[in-house]
Amino acid sequence: MKKNNQKIVIKLDKLSKRYDDEAGVYDALRAINLEVAEGEFINIMGPSGSGKSTLMNIIGLLDRPTKGNYYLDGVNTAKLSSKDIAKLRRDKIGFVFQNFNLLPRLNLAQNVEMPLIYKKVSLRQRREKVKEVLSKVGLEDKIKNRPNRLSGGQVQRAAIARALINDPSIILADEPTGNLDTKTGVEIMNLLKELNLQGVTVVLVTHNPELSEYASKTIIVRDGKIIEDTKK
Amino acid sequence: MIWQNIKNAFISIKSAKLRSFLTVIGVVIGVFAVLVMIGVGDGVKKDISGEISSLGTNVLTVASGRIGQSSSQRQTSQQQQRQTSGFPFSGGFGTSTLTEKDVASIKNISDIDKITTFGIISSSVVSGNYSSEGAFVVSAEPNYFSIRNIKLSEGREITDRDNEDKKLVAVIGSNTKADLFGDENAIGKKLTLRGKEFEVVGITKKSDGGLSFGSSSDDVVIIPYNTGVELTGKNEIFRILVQVNDAKNIDSVKSEITKAIQQNHAGEDDFSVLTQEDLLGTFNSILDILTTFVVAIAAISLLVGGIGIMNIMLVTVSERTKEIGIRKAMGATFGNILGQFMTESIVISLIGGIIGVLVSYLAGFVIKRLANITPVFSPRALLAALGVSLLVGIVFGTAPAIKAARKNPIQALKSL
Repeated sequence: MKKNNQKIVIKLDKLSKRYDDEAGVYDALRAINLEVAEGEFINIMGPSGSGKSTLMNIIGLLDRPTKGNYYLDGVNTAKLSSKDIAKLRRDKIGFVFQNFNLLPRLNLAQNVEMPLIYKKVSLRQRREKVKEVLSKVGLEDKIKNRPNRLSGGQVQRAAIARALINDPSIILADEPTGNLDTKTGVEIMNLLKELNLQGVTVVLVTHNPELSEYASKTIIVRDGKIIEDTKK
Repeated sequence: MIWQNIKNAFISIKSAKLRSFLTVIGVVIGVFAVLVMIGVGDGVKKDISGEISSLGTNVLTVASGRIGQSSSQRQTSQQQQRQTSGFPFSGGFGTSTLTEKDVASIKNISDIDKITTFGIISSSVVSGNYSSEGAFVVSAEPNYFSIRNIKLSEGREITDRDNEDKKLVAVIGSNTKADLFGDENAIGKKLTLRGKEFEVVGITKKSDGGLSFGSSSDDVVIIPYNTGVELTGKNEIFRILVQVNDAKNIDSVKSEITKAIQQNHAGEDDFSVLTQEDLLGTFNSILDILTTFVVAIAAISLLVGGIGIMNIMLVTVSERTKEIGIRKAMGATFGNILGQFMTESIVISLIGGIIGVLVSYLAGFVIKRLANITPVFSPRALLAALGVSLLVGIVFGTAPAIKAARKNPIQALKSL
């Protein structure tokens, strides 16, 4: 699928992460190299403690590598201030979490528009965009509802809408079906696939091998290294 | 962003109503205590100013001896306070340095409305078997009444004619009248000063019962100035009172009087020219010290209110760790989170401030009714109250907000 002229969205260059605390020194990631092209759907897999979560945190700009470089959309993130990192996270990354992570006190519109508020987008534009992304995930009629009035699947759809609102370079989905029943899980995966077919780059982190069928590429991490990189 | 923060603050305050209410109460009590104390202090000050200006408006007092204000330069308020506090007595010792020539020189100065001299005569005040212990005897020119704003309840004032003819007539204070004549009609009755009989021609109206400064017009016997000179055999001017035509001319007239008398006294500074302000300054500075002290105590309750805010904000921050993690994942910067929690503590504090101001106003009406003091809430005090509550919100909200903004997003997202 990958063409020569395709844009590289994520490039990890000999990326290492070492934790050095009271518990001792621990290498979570060891010189990882990885490239993700625009429009890809990659699936990062691995058992607990493999370094998969650390890798996801670094890709999501929530954590920084100890060594090596991470290029997001061509920008070397190693040299950025934490403020610029926060902005890059806001503009380039859409998170989808296992436990949804919507704020219970806010309604769907208020939850979904949050990244745009940090981007200082006007109220009118925010409203339009919220409507657009909520209808993309089939929740346009729940706009004023609080998350506790919705089913798990609906909440996860809302979370995907929130991830989409800034037109991010990648959607980073961490076990998005982990808290859902099988049928709803399939719906959510289909939604992610559909968005991917519309051009959104998806990075899926899971330990569920069944989900790899949605991905165009599966990466298996073990002991801080990529041990398998399979393209469909 | 600010608007969004305010909106979030209200959402958060609403989601923990009782807790927010209790926190706000802390600030309300603090602001209320401070405002009411300042209000009562200012109210008393206003009462005293009213009292002093009722001694006569735009009046300059020329006294013998060095009292208070230097003739040529203003002094610091502290010096002024120390020196003018002796005002009622110090000029009374020894022989007066003021002369008829000084009076004549002052009369030549423009912008003067009225002038009067008066003396103090030491004498017992007796009528038949009764005497008035508290009364002191003043010999004064007719203008004395209008300049000192002394009103009569009965009879007439001392006239120019009385003064020229050195008549043996007297206007007496309401208390003096009660001492000597009880409830009987006193007009036309006789009293004895230094062995001479005087006819009572007028009685002063009882003053409001407020604080009185200088000489009370309730315990007094006023006789014509020239009669006094004859009675004592001395022309001793205790004070010259000068009424200036307009408040804006007070300072210029003061310096002209000073210049004129200095010339008469061969350049010697053996007299003082005092404005009402000089008198007011003394009382105000004493009151200011008292007010400051009481307000400082009240301010402690505001401090406690602030600590309450800090406490609750710290609880809020740890309760909402997950929210902070989510917001950071959505791209919130350190500043965004800081702003959000700062706004929340400022909103709580300002709500407390606003309610505190309203409660103080209500308390003002109650105090007016119960204590006969009208608290004064100047716009400046109200703005200051709101300003201080804003400050309390900022000061006590900073540490919790920094704590929130510093949270590691990965840890925060993992929290429950």
